[in-house]
Parts: sequence; C-alpha cells; structure tokens
Amino acid sequence: MPAKLPWLRGVFPALVTPFTKDEEVDEAALRALVRHLMPHVDGFVPCGTTGEFPYMTPDEQKRVIAIVADEVAGRKPIIAGTGAAGTKETILLARNAKEAGANACLVVTPFFLHPSDKGIYQHFYDVAMAVDIPIILYNIPQVVDAYLPRNVVEDLSDIPNIVGIKDSSGNLTYTMEILEMVQGRIDVFIGHDEVVLPALAGGCTGMILASANVYPEVWQKVYAAVQEGRIEEARALQRSVQKLSRIFCRYGGGLAVKQALNMMGIPVGQARRPLKVGGSLIHEDRAEIQLELERLGKIAPAEDPYAPPAGPLAGRFGALGISADQVKAASLRVGTGAAGAEPENVQIDLVAGPKDGIVGEVFALQLTYPRHGYEALTTILEPNLTVRPSTLIVPTAELKNLRQANMIYGPTQAAVARAIVDALEDGTIPQAAMDTHVMLVQASVHPKALDRHALYQAVLAAAGAAIRQAFGANR
Amino acid sequence: MSKKPEWFKGIFPALVTPFTKDDRVDEAAYRELIRYVLPHVNGIVPCGTTGEFVYMLEDERKRAIEIALDEVNGRVPVVAGTAYPSTRETVKMTAWARDAGVTAALVAAPYYLKPSFNEVYDHYDALNKLGVPLILYNIPQCAGTHYQWWTTEGMAYLDNVVGIKDSSGDMPYLMAVFEKVRGKIGIFTGHDEIVPAALAMGADGAILASANVIPDVWQTIYKAVLSGDLATAQTLMARIQRFVRILARQGPTQAVKEALQLLGLPIGDSRHPMIKGDAFRREDYEEVRGVLEELGKIPPRPMTYHLYAGAPGVQGQFPKPPAAPSEVRDMTLLVGEGFAGPPFSELAHVDLLIGRKDGPVGKAIERALAEPRPGHELRIVFERPRTLLVPTVTVRTKKQAEMVYEHAAGGVIMALEALVKDGTLPAALLDDIVLIANVFVHPGASNRWRVRINNFKAMKAATRKALEGRPTLDELIAEKESARHPFRYAP
Repeated sequence: MPAKLPWLRGVFPALVTPFTKDEEVDEAALRALVRHLMPHVDGFVPCGTTGEFPYMTPDEQKRVIAIVADEVAGRKPIIAGTGAAGTKETILLARNAKEAGANACLVVTPFFLHPSDKGIYQHFYDVAMAVDIPIILYNIPQVVDAYLPRNVVEDLSDIPNIVGIKDSSGNLTYTMEILEMVQGRIDVFIGHDEVVLPALAGGCTGMILASANVYPEVWQKVYAAVQEGRIEEARALQRSVQKLSRIFCRYGGGLAVKQALNMMGIPVGQARRPLKVGGSLIHEDRAEIQLELERLGKIAPAEDPYAPPAGPLAGRFGALGISADQVKAASLRVGTGAAGAEPENVQIDLVAGPKDGIVGEVFALQLTYPRHGYEALTTILEPNLTVRPSTLIVPTAELKNLRQANMIYGPTQAAVARAIVDALEDGTIPQAAMDTHVMLVQASVHPKALDRHALYQAVLAAAGAAIRQAFGANR
Repeated sequence: MSKKPEWFKGIFPALVTPFTKDDRVDEAAYRELIRYVLPHVNGIVPCGTTGEFVYMLEDERKRAIEIALDEVNGRVPVVAGTAYPSTRETVKMTAWARDAGVTAALVAAPYYLKPSFNEVYDHYDALNKLGVPLILYNIPQCAGTHYQWWTTEGMAYLDNVVGIKDSSGDMPYLMAVFEKVRGKIGIFTGHDEIVPAALAMGADGAILASANVIPDVWQTIYKAVLSGDLATAQTLMARIQRFVRILARQGPTQAVKEALQLLGLPIGDSRHPMIKGDAFRREDYEEVRGVLEELGKIPPRPMTYHLYAGAPGVQGQFPKPPAAPSEVRDMTLLVGEGFAGPPFSELAHVDLLIGRKDGPVGKAIERALAEPRPGHELRIVFERPRTLLVPTVTVRTKKQAEMVYEHAAGGVIMALEALVKDGTLPAALLDDIVLIANVFVHPGASNRWRVRINNFKAMKAATRKALEGRPTLDELIAEKESARHPFRYAP
C-alpha cells in the first residue's frame, strides 16, 4: 500500500515549454511563466504532453525540470513528465528528473509500438523499482492510441511508489472505473480540461491541465466550489471556459496554449515543428482564442465600435459605387432590417436590380476588386448550394481578423441565404427574378459578435425584413 | 468437400431498390434497371445493403424479391438479402425467400445490438436448418460486427453455407478467409475498391454497388483477371477507382441512384434519412458525372446558348444528363459556384462569373486591366474565352502567391481546356464571352497538387452549374432546412 502524498491535490498546470525563435529552450521565458503562475497553482508539471516532451532531448528535459525547480525553490511540488516509448529511456528520464529536483514523475503509457497488458504492467513496474521517486501513471489515449488498461492500473496501485494516475482521456466511464478499481489507494487526477467539474464531482482529487497555464484561478475556484459542495457555482465557472478549453484540448494542445499566453503578454514563443499555427490550430481558432480571452478579461479588448450605415436607405450603398440618385433613377429595390441584442446585433441593407444594370455591374466589380477586409462573398446555404437571385454579401466594417471574417462567411452567409430561399418559397421574391436579377447585401455585424447561434437568428430576421421591404407589395 | 456452387462466380450487382415519388417500390423502374444490368452480369442481388433493405417493410422486401425473380425468369441466379437483427425474423424471411425460389439467401451479420461470436454462429446455425443455400455477409461498416476469421471458418462447415460476401475491404481478413476456406465455399468480395486484388488472390466474384451503373466495366475486369491479363484489369480499375471509392464510401444508396439518374434511368432517390447532397456530397456528384463522361456513359447532348435574352441561339453540345436544361437563355451575367475538398487547407472555392464581353462581366475585366491595384494582382489566365483570375484572399506571402498564381491558376486553366474541348464552352462563343474566376485559396494551404486538382474540379463544376442553372429552386427549397454551413457553428 503506497503512502499517499499529502500535497497531491488541487491545480497543476502542464507547463508549456517556451522556445526561442531558433527553437531553443527559452530559460528566461520559462522562469517568467513559472513566476506568473506561482500564486494560483498547487504545483507544476514540466515536460508533459503540453510541454512537447516528445520533441525534446533527454538533456533538454532535464534542464527544463531543473529551471522550474530552481525558480520554484521548494515552494511548490514539481511533477516532471518522464514518459518515453521504451522502458530504458523512461528510467533514465525519471532518474534525471529526481536529480533535477522533481518531487514526482508523470509516466505516460508506452507509445508507438503497442505492448499488451503484461508489457504495460512490466514497464511501469520496472520503472517503479528502478527509481526512488513517486510515480503518477498517465492515461492519454488520444496520443498514445491505447488506454492504460484498468486491470493493470488496479495491480499497479499496490506498488508503494506509484501514488496516482492522471486520466486525460475525457472518457468519464474510464475515469469512474479507475476510481472504483483503485479504491482510494492512489489519487486520481483529471487531465482533460473539458470535463474537470464532473471528474472532481466523481472523486478526482486534482487536475493537471494545459489550460491551467492560462486560467489557473478559474480552476482553483472550480476546485474549491466542488470541495465545498457549491455545484451551481462550479458549473457556471466550467461553462465560462468550456469553449476555450475545447480549443486547447483538441487543436494542438501546447501550440494553442502558447498562442493564448503570447496574447496575454507572457511570451513563450511557438511550438516546435511540425506543429504550427495554420496546421493543428487553424488561424480562425487562433482568432477565437483572442476573443475568448477578452471575454475572460485576460486581455484588454481592442476598441471596435459598431457603426452600421445610417441615413436615408438609398444613400447607403455609396461604398459599393451605387449613389442615391442611381437607386432612384433605376428604381432599384432597396430594403433594410436590423435585429439582435448586442453584441450579436446586425443591420442588413439590401439593393436588388436587373443583371444588365448598375447592380449587375457592381456585382461583377465586387468580385473583381475585392477590398481587403471587405471581401464580397456569394450567398450560399452551404458550399455548393448557392442561392439565386445571385447575391453578394459585403461587410460594412473592416474585418480585422479571421474570426470576424468567420462571423460573415459562417452564420451571416447561411442566414442571408436562408432568408432568400424562404422569400422565394413564399413568393416575396418572384421566381423569375432568380434569372434576371442580382442582389447586394451590406452586412453590418458587431465586431464583437461571438454567439453564432444568436447571430444567425439576428441576420435571418434582419435579412427577412430587408427583403420584404425591397420586394414587398408596399414598396 | 467443396460446397461451392457452379453458379456462384462473376459479377453480381447489389441492386438499388427504386422508389416512386410517393415512396413505394417502383416496379417499372426496378424491371428497367434489371434489364439494364442483365446482359453484363452473372447474377443479381435484390434487397442487399445498397437495396436499402433496412429501410423496407417486410412486404416491400418480399415484393422486390418477387419482381426480381419474375424479371430474371431463371436466366441468372438471384441471391436475395434476407437479414434482420433477430434470428426469429431472419429465419422467417429466409424461409419465405426459399419458398419464393431464390437461388440463395445473403444474410448480413445480425446488426444493431452486438451479439458475441457464439451468438453470431448460432444465428447462422438456425438458418442452416432451412435448407436454402446461404451466403454469409460480412459488412462491419454497417452491421457493427466484423466476423473473426475463425467465425467464418466455423460457419463454412455448416451444410448449407455455400459462400461468403466480404464487404469489409479488410484485406488481411480476406487473406485469412482464403487460407481457411478456399475451395470449401465460394468467396466474394463486396468492396468495390479492392475487386481486382481480391480476384487476383482467388475470389470467385464480386457483389457490388457500382455494378448497378457500370456492370460492363466490371465484367471486363473480371474476365481480364480470370484470363491472367492483369494489365487490362489495372488500366480499367485506374479509370474507375475514384468513381467506386465515392460510391462505396459516400452513402452508396443515394450515390448509386444519382449515378443511374445521370445515365437517364428513372431511379428516384433513396429513402430518408439518406438525402441528396448529404453523405453523397454535391462535389461527389460532379466527380461521378465526370467519370461517367470519361467512360462514354454520358453522351454529348445539345445546348442552345443565347448571348442575351432574345438573341439568336448558338448551337452546341457537351456531355450532360438527359434531365439537364437544353438552353441558356441569357448570358449577360451567369453566376456559378464550385467547391471542392478535402482537405480543409487545400479546399477550393470558386465564385465564377460568365458573361457577355459587352456586359457587366466584360466591363469589369476592362476596368481591372486599365486600373491595376498594387498588391492585388489580377491576371488573365486564359485567352479564349478570356478569363480573369482574382484571388479572394489578399496575397501577402510568396507561398500564397505561388499557390494562387501557379497552382490554383493551373487548375483553372486545366478546367478551361477541358470545358472548351468537350464543348461546354462552345467554340462559336469563345470570343464573345468572358469569365471572372474568383478563387479562394486558404492561407494555410501546403499541398500544391491538391490545390491544383481542387481548383480544377471547382472551376469545372462552377462553369457547368452556371450554364445549367444549378442548384434549382426545387433543390434549394428541399434543402434549406437540412443545409449545414460548415462555418456556422462555434469551434
């Protein structure tokens, strides 16, 4: 029966490993990160999955652990990642970790080749026997491509220096099974940011998380709230970081966390190759991280006023090259609509006309001269499902990042398309117009819009109103 | 002792079941389909997976089998699908099929609930007592149960089990089946993508979804392998590989039905929840059409082009399905959209304008050439018809520039060459019409060849869609509820 470690509870960040531009370990940045996190955490985990351990040499890992130990100076415990595919290297790494000042080791299920139950047991047993440091088992099937079998965990829990298991699977049936199998002999930590609350409620005693680099204080509050039985409060807190936690967990791990820290003014550089922004973490999601951090108060929001076109409707299409006089002279159909609550408030201004007139000309020009930040989009229900009358959507405010662009080419585009098809179906737009007319939609979407569902509904209402005004009987 | 029947060899189409607009088994269309495939096949399979047996009531399944038996009238064997999840229902249906006169029953592994392998064995043991020849049917993609080789081996010793159809596509499994039961029972592959490989290893034949559409091609491949002419088999397979990959993977029931519609067979659509534009995506439709054109299955059909409403018509022709329109009424400004992927980073999205030289599209091109904008290079990439390439996303890096002006442009040019060659863009109009191709290349694109190919596909589809007026109002209304814009939802 192992002796439990009294300090093994609470919130542990799986530290990212800062790298310099030439991909060397950045000691100063690592120290700064540790200092930043110190007040909010119960300990540190260098060289975990988030720390890109498979991309580091044994010497680099040892050095990273030593830097963290030196910076922490005994104030908090250190659990060092010492996983490797083979047993021999794992033992080497664990010995290194102890020398470097770690208080425990986190040992991942052996990866790449896939030993069966007996080989996995023997791996952990051999490591435990070979080193004089407490060991925490580590289940993370997303990257290992295999679960740490529960029967093996049950047996390993009898080995004196195996003191815990971190479960990053996010599979709560597995977590509950492990809690049942080990019967309190070892501590079970949750390692999946998206299910922290249910795991704690189920009996986990702490967490090792990628996102604890970014919002450890939120997790401290969740931890305290669960300990004290305030489940409603814990739920609200978990909900507040759910989307960001999902992005961290699923799109590049340390790569995504590094983007967040860099945005927060804690420079940690980039991930080592082959991971890169634009790959595992797409640019759109990077932009989403920024907005979520603004919402959490982690970074100051950029000032981005919402200023939809005002004044007489016929005069609102000047930016497209259609003057009020031309609207009148050609008897163009125009309509406007506004809907939604801030920041998902929108205004839709629409002008429709025959293909061989001014609207047709502007339509062609908009696709020929895309203005940066104001690129026109054709209106589609989904890709390969274009609506007619052919309609271009042009934003009225500059799109400053891909997330803002995403609000236009996602929910806005889909909602305008839906409004047009609804209007065709109920006869508001005559069927003949499908082949004879084109339309231009100026979309004013609040730059801080974030709730795509609310935005879709707002655009649907506003575009519907604009179409009714343009094509309705009383125009 | 071999129980392999003499008749169990060659190409068997897993027949789709045509339904009428009011959703009943369409007997006339079913008979027409059987007449279409019959000259090229060694047998037929009503009520298989492609036949949507799981979406049919007991009476409908019986009716389909009766029609198939009647239409075939003994000329080729009829292997009828008789699977249900439970042993009780499967026994009942299989006994009925025996009495109706089927040659054999094709019985998929009991599905939905996941019985253990002794239960699976007992399931077939119960069917074995009925006295009708049985074909085992391994299709883990749908049934959720993948026979183990020892399950197959054991069941092969049941008296009335005469064959197996393996649709898993799992070649190591199939190799184990050859090792254990070759010569004892007939071995068919049911996975369209690996047919020549399976035949070369000694498979007796294939039951295929795509054999509804191209039974003749399959028959040629089958005979070529049988006669040891692997070169011919490889050449033909290369021509149809992407076609059968799409049919096998992208919702085979609707995919096969749309392919048959492209040939002009009045087949109708799948029963819900399989719907148009879903698992069988619109880009798949364009691909399938392209392959059928290459195979000569979709002949050129006339199209009349009017430069403007009321202008005299210019006659042309290009390969299109019988249901496509035969007239472009006004070429002042036609808009087409083409989307091709995956992968995400290399997907292509083309917003295409086709128009008269003296109309809005021509004017936009003239202005673009007269007023170039620094940092936003527009290029004429094709002369007849004159085509302007516009990058949707502002080009900021050298890598992006290469992707847009070399690889995406290369794809657009390939498409234009193909469209001129096949007559979609008629020779008589090449000096009167102009095109603007607004191409989206994701800034994260890396795979150069995919950028090129996806832009080829997107450009070709956009042109066809612009000229043929697709999607139609009916399609838009039918799909407005189920449409799922990929960027409409939170990450």
